Parts: sequence; structure tokens; C-alpha cells
Amino acid sequence: MPATSGPLTPGLASFLKTLKTNPIDTSIDNLISLLKRRQIRHSRSCATATAYLLRGVISASRTNDASKLIERVQHVGRRLMAAQPREMVVGNIVRRVLGLIRDEAEDDREGDFNLSEAGSESQPQTPRGLDDPTDALSGRHDGSDRGASRQPFSALTAAPISMFSLLSHPEAENSLPGTPISASPSGRLLGHAPTKDIRAEVLDGISEIIDELTQVDDQIAAYALDHIHSNEIILTHTSSTTVQKFLLKAAAKRKFTVIHAESYPNNHEATHATVSGANPHDDELLSTESFQKPLIALGITVILIPDSAVFALMSRVNKVILGTHSVLANGGLVAAAGTRVIARAAKVHQTPVVVVSGVYKLSPVYPFDFDSLIEYGDASKVIEYEDGDLVDQIDVQNPLYDYVPAELIDLYITNLGGHAPSYLYRIVSDHYRKEDISV
Amino acid sequence: MTSSTPTAPSPSPAAAAAAPASTPASNTSSSSKPSKQQQSSSQSQKPKPANKSKDSASAASAGGAAAAAPADGATAQLTPAELKKRAKAEKAARRARERAERESGAAGGPGGAGSSAGGGAGGGGAGSSAAGKKDGGSAAGSAGGGGSRQLPRRGSAQNASQTGGGSTKHKKTDDKNVAVFGHLYGQQRRTTVAGAGKEVHPAVLALGLQMRDYVVCGSSARCVATLLAFKRVIEAYTTPLGTSLPRHLTTYLSHQITYLSTCRPLSISQGNAIRALKLAISSIDPSTPEAEAKAFLGEFIDSFIREKITVADQVIASSAAQKIQDGDVIVTFAGSSIVKQTLLLAHKQGKKFRVSIIDSRPLFEGKSLARALANAGLDVQYSLIHGISHAIKAASKVFLGAHAMTSNGRLYSRVGTALVAMSAKERAGGVEVPVIVCCETVKFTDRVALDSIVVNEIADADELITAEPMQQLTGLPDPVAAATASAADAKKGGGSKSAAAAAANAAAESNTLTQNVSSPLTGWKESANLQLLNIMYDVTPAEYVDMVVTEMGSLPPSAVPIVHRMSTNM
Repeated sequence: MPATSGPLTPGLASFLKTLKTNPIDTSIDNLISLLKRRQIRHSRSCATATAYLLRGVISASRTNDASKLIERVQHVGRRLMAAQPREMVVGNIVRRVLGLIRDEAEDDREGDFNLSEAGSESQPQTPRGLDDPTDALSGRHDGSDRGASRQPFSALTAAPISMFSLLSHPEAENSLPGTPISASPSGRLLGHAPTKDIRAEVLDGISEIIDELTQVDDQIAAYALDHIHSNEIILTHTSSTTVQKFLLKAAAKRKFTVIHAESYPNNHEATHATVSGANPHDDELLSTESFQKPLIALGITVILIPDSAVFALMSRVNKVILGTHSVLANGGLVAAAGTRVIARAAKVHQTPVVVVSGVYKLSPVYPFDFDSLIEYGDASKVIEYEDGDLVDQIDVQNPLYDYVPAELIDLYITNLGGHAPSYLYRIVSDHYRKEDISV
Repeated sequence: MTSSTPTAPSPSPAAAAAAPASTPASNTSSSSKPSKQQQSSSQSQKPKPANKSKDSASAASAGGAAAAAPADGATAQLTPAELKKRAKAEKAARRARERAERESGAAGGPGGAGSSAGGGAGGGGAGSSAAGKKDGGSAAGSAGGGGSRQLPRRGSAQNASQTGGGSTKHKKTDDKNVAVFGHLYGQQRRTTVAGAGKEVHPAVLALGLQMRDYVVCGSSARCVATLLAFKRVIEAYTTPLGTSLPRHLTTYLSHQITYLSTCRPLSISQGNAIRALKLAISSIDPSTPEAEAKAFLGEFIDSFIREKITVADQVIASSAAQKIQDGDVIVTFAGSSIVKQTLLLAHKQGKKFRVSIIDSRPLFEGKSLARALANAGLDVQYSLIHGISHAIKAASKVFLGAHAMTSNGRLYSRVGTALVAMSAKERAGGVEVPVIVCCETVKFTDRVALDSIVVNEIADADELITAEPMQQLTGLPDPVAAATASAADAKKGGGSKSAAAAAANAAAESNTLTQNVSSPLTGWKESANLQLLNIMYDVTPAEYVDMVVTEMGSLPPSAVPIVHRMSTNM
């Protein structure tokens, strides 16, 4: 299955290609297995895949009922998050989509106040409402294919809701303005008649999220000139497109020096490729990024160092700019292994540490058990094959991530601007709704 | 001391150059004598600068007419290299003449001017030979001598191309040198024994290459190996006529030392040992018979190794092993021989503890330590520098080896040590892990260091480029290696690859395969602005070190200068 077909190596590209043609349930299973097998790795790839999948899920579920959509997205989201709990961006995107649906549903409810208009608007929707049962049935079919365990539940819930919405439609149209208001708190979002096309709104919202994912690096890079001055020496670690674009943006205007720690053994090849401008072999990066110029082409001196030399060089470094895997609500971050000692060394040398990260990496999860966030990787990267006899005798460890506490970070730069670590919880509450924090 | 040893040999060629240069200059011109001297000196390689300066001195003192005579003698027997030298001599003579003319007016001018020019040329020659290449000297010398006679045309063209090539090459390497560390890129490490002085002993020649290739690696190992090699040098040494052993042996040894330092900069311990040896040599009474003196020196070297390293290591190991308790988790960095000895001793004493080794690129010294400890039956955990924060979480003690301890209490050790010590001191839980350094007093130095930039050693940056063994393992048909690799090997490699691919994640495997075939860094020297930095050491702040275990007891790092003074005064 893997290397035989070049362009169809399992990954983000192949997933997006097949997303259109495959039925949505196949795609869900496909993404779950991709996540489980770690064939989609980078935060952004995971986020993009999740967003596209959820868009597919929502457009495939032919209902305008917010509660049904939420339930469906929650169900898919839970499965995705269970597939790879340490890819926190998956959960983030799921939460944001859920938040979108809830927002739309609430807007909708508020819109019901002026029902005279809403009623006239909902007039053309009545036939759709009548179509609903059949659509719901087909949706139920999909559900039964998906998981046998869920089938009875969906069968139970889908039928009453569709019946309810059938009945509630004429009621909403005919009743006085007072009744829906009294009805909606009791039924929350549940039994409320869709007066506009929630699904289309949500799809629009997801498209915005996808746009955000593609533009986030450029948005972050726009702040580069505010943070990098001339003749600075900047230390960075591992290969991150966000950091690279950030530095490139500054390099267009200013001259500085970059010290690049290679993050051996897990990502050094990509780092070397980033530094030297050789074509990255990484299929998971989107094609546009592989055409990015290296910093050296812009006349920036790049010094590649092994990770061990970080402390020795830190006294010369003006700023440390780091990429991250995900950011937690307490301001701490989960980043490539080795980041923590770098941040610590910077702290010891009183060097500011700047983390660049898209808001989509910001997770509402508060870490109580840091170790559970850490993923361990392939030991053969640490001990090579020729030393294979050692593996039987010793315990080889290859952590992929480090937890970096918030006190080591001086500044976060997201696509919304620069923030202190202590401010992150506000951004979290702006982006995620309380009821979605535990999906 | 790294500075003191390189400086020690440098006066000696200069002195050697100056001494013969002065004699012909003081003698008034005798045309036969210089040519005879040239004959004799052309046999040995060392007196080249002396030879050159002699030529110039004699030519200067004799004037332009006399310069023809030694030149004729030289062409009869000598190679193009000598032709160049002759041209240089001519030019030096001409310059001296010009200067004499400029200064003329004073009747006694020519003699004084000539001698001074000769001395200057000799100094310049010695300097350039110390820098490594003789053509550098010749190019510099002939830069001004564009057109004298028939020969110069050829010579000047050659020289021009030489100087041109030299300058572009210089520029290119400059671009690859990290500016901050510019002072450390003094000279390339020697690559072959070719060009090594004749008087360098074979044992020293071999040792130099072993040190360069990290076969002999580690401060104490290098120290011991150097002393043993010098012991053989001294055994093979015979005092030349007309001089005495204590006087001549020191300069003789300094050739060996210069050679060693061109292979790899000397360690602190090597410097301390050499200093002690030189002191012992100079303390010998010149009237002592040679055999007796050599026996004394052999005895001295043996006792130095025994006292300062072998027994010291045993003392350190036994006292450091006392610090290990049952249930400890010991974190160590890279592969220190003394830490290995300590851990093995503690294990032999029946203590139950775990060892976590942190290793680093590109030397992977921890691997052999891990193997040795695992073979001895210890419970070993191994990770690379990226796993420090995970390894330190469980740690109860950190044991570190040292390359040197500076007088301000800082630990100068393999690069990455500072990160380990820092992590031990700043653990998130707020509990500090004690950091214990095992270090013989021979590694103490009176130098001080604040950062890792002023004092350090730069290794070849190409060592950082991912090694090829991965390719052999995967058995992919590598275009370059395919011709050399045998078919059987390839087949075996293919078999193992398919098995591995079936077992492990196949996609990731193929991913690494494609990336390993050609490292993106292979052409790094051609890409402008890209620099690779491979430093060997870093300096750990004294506050990260809780205790230094030496053969004189366990001390705080602040005690280093006192102990160093005590041990050098003894």
C-alpha cells in the first residue's frame, strides 16, 4: 500500500484527493487510520484534514437541525480524537466547528424574535422540511454503516427529532411570538425549527477556518518586523513553516543571523532541508511550501548547530523563536523534544523566548498530567541498526515532544497578534465555547 | 594551557632559524661556505627557514654580485622548489641593496642593513613555516619581486596564480567559518602524516592520527597516550654531539608536541603533563650520563601516569561510588571514562541503581559507555540530547566527566554538558538534582572562562553531515556506492529492508529512505551563507556544579584554583 504509488502515499494530499470521491464514512475511517498510523503528523496537516472532513460530514448530513449536527460532529470528533489524543489540533478544530454550529443556532433563535420575517423566510424551506424525513433516513443508513454500536441510538434519536421538527414547523409559523421563546429554553436548541439554512452557514464557517489555516503563517509573518531588528542573532529549533515564514518576512527588510538547532534525531532531515533549501521530501507539507526560498537565498547567514551546542551559543543569541506543536490553555506548550532545554537555556541567559503559533494550535485543554501529552517515537532513530544488539540490553528512549511550562515563554505571536502567556486563556474563551471543552 | 603549549614550540624554530642566520652574517662573505651549508641543510627539512634566511643574509652581505655564486651552485643540484628559493634570495638581496642605497651616506651602512634584512627575512620565514605551508612564504616573498630577470617571468606567473588561488580559497573558507568563532579556526587539522617533520617519532605520528580520528579520545586517555608515546621518544633519543640532554631534549620534544597539536589541539591534561615533563627534563643535571637521565625520565613518566591518572581514577571512583545509593537514578552525559569506572565500581559493590545516559551528535560517545555498562549488567536507559528533560525527571543524581576545570570553578567539558547540568538544577518540580563532577587534578587549569566562545575547539563541520551507514543498511542502490558495494551485501541489505518494512511502518520507512539517500547538506559548502558549526566543548557555570570529586577529596568548584596551585607547586 505505501510506497508503490508515489503521489498517493498516505498523507494529507491523498486524503484530500479522495475526500471528494469517497463516501464520507470511508473518509472518516480513512482519516482515523491515518491519524493512528501517524501518516498525518504536522499540526496543520491534521487541522486541515479535520476541517475538510468535518465540512464533508456536515454537507453530507442533510439536516438543518443544529442539535443533530452537533451530535454528528461530536460523534465524529470523538472518534478522531480517540484515534490520536495527542494531536490536540484535531480536538481544537472539532470544538471550533461545534462552536460554529452553536453560534448559528443561537443567532437563529434570536432571529426568531421578529417572526414575521422569519416566517416568510421559512416559507420556501417548508418543502425542505418535508423532505427531511427521507434525508434523515439516508443519513441514518450512513450511520448504521459506520458503527453497529451507534445504530440503535441514532435510530432512536433520529426518528423523534425529525418527527418533532415536522410538527414544530407549522407550529412555529402559526404561533404567536411568545411561544417559541417559551419553547426554546425548555428544548434548548433541540426541538427548535431551523428558520434559515444553518448548514450553509456552518459550511461557510468551516471554509473560513480552512482559509485561516492556509493563511495563518502569512498572518503571523506580518508581525515579523515588529519583533526582529537588524543584526540580531536569532536561535530557532527544528523545522517549522511558521517560523521559517516569519524569518523570511523579516529577512526581506533586515539583515540578521539565524542559528538553527537541528533537532536530531526526529526532524533533522527536514531541518537540514529547510536550512539548505534542498527540496523537502516531506509529502505532508503542502506543495506551496516546498517552493519556499531558504533564508540563505536572501542573504541571511544561517548557522546550523547540533542541539548540544545550544547552551554554548546562547550567550550570543538575542532572541529565541520557536515553533510549537500545540499550545495549552495555561500558556505552556507541547513542542518538539529539545525545546524545553532551549527555552530553559534562554531563560538562564535572560534571552527572550518568542513562540509563533496559529490560534488553531491553541487548545482549551488544561494539562494536569504533562506526561500524558508526550509521545514517544521510534527508538531506531536513536540507536541505529548496526547497534541493534544494544536495543536488547538497554532501554532506548526517543521522546517526540517536550512540555514547556509557561514561565519559560516571554511572548506568543499568533495570527491575532502578540500576547503574554498569561493572556492566552482569554483567547481560548474567545474561540471555544464552554460546553465544548470536553467534547 | 592550550595556549602555552602552542607558544612553547613556536620560539624554537625561530630560534633555530636565527642562530645559523647570525653566523654567516657575522662572517664576511665567503662564497664556498654558504653553498656547503646549503648542501648539508637541504637534507633536513626543518632548517628550511634557516636556509632561506641564510641565503638572503649571505646575499645581502655579499651584495648583488656575490648572489650569483650560490645560485649557480644551487641550480646544479636542486629542484624547481629550490629555484623558487633562489629567486627569493635574489629578491631579498635586491631589496637589501635598495635599502642600503636608500640608507647610503653612512659608510658602515651595507653591513648593518644586510644583517638586519637577513634577520627580518629569517623571522618571516620561520613565521610562515609555523603557519604550515612554505608556498605561503614564497608567494609573500615574491609578491614584490615581479620582474628581475629571465626566471622571474615564470616565477611571477606561478606566484600570481598561487596567490590568486590562495586568496579565493581563503575567502571561501572564511565564508564557512562562523564569525563569532573566527579566532578558533586557526589551522586545519592535519589530514596526513605527509609534511610532518623528520624528527617526529613514528609513535607520535601514529598517535596524532589516532587523536585526530577520535580513536584516542577523552582528556585522560589522550594524556596517557601522549606520555607513553613520549616515553618511547625518549627511549629512542640520543643526544647529539655538542649539546646536553636537558637542553636539547626539550626542543626535540617540542617538535613532537607541535605535530600533535596540528592533529588536534592539545587538551588541558596533555598540556599539564607536558609541562611537568619539561620541568623534569630541565631539572636533570647536564652532567648526568644519558642512559641514567633517560631512565629517570621513563620512571618519571610512569609515576606521573600512575599518580595523576591511574591511581587518581581509582581514588575518585571509590569515593564517587560512595555517593551512589540503592535506588538511585544516575544521569550522565556522553562517555566519560571516570564516570564509567565509578558506575562499574558501584555496581560491583552490589548497589542497585539505574543509569540514564544522554548522548549527543556527532561523536556518540555514550554508546560505548552504554554498551560497557549493559554488558556489566547494569540497568541502562539511553536517549539523545533532545530527551534531557525526560531523563532528568526521574534522576536522583547527575554524574559528569570533565575535560577541564577552570580556575573560576567552571566545568569545561563535552558540548551539551551544560544543558544537562542546567536541567538538573532547574527541574520543574523545584527539587534540585545534585550534580557531581569526577575530575582528576591534572585536568585543573589556571585559565578562566566565562563563556564557551573564547575558549573552545572547532571540529570539522563535515562530521555533522548525516553518516552514510544508513544507506548500507537500507540496501538501496546508491548511485555512488553501488559500484563499490558487493552484490551479496546488496542482496542481504535488500532482504533486511523488506523485512523491516513489513514489520514497521512502511511509509515512514520509505520516507527516511528517500531522505537518507542524499543528505540535503551534502553540498553545504557550495551554498552561500550556510554555515555549520561543530564545537567540541562548552562551559558549565560553577553554580550548576555541587561537587567536584578529585583524588584529593570532594571539593566545591570554588576550590579548584587552590587545589591547582597546590598540585603544581608540589
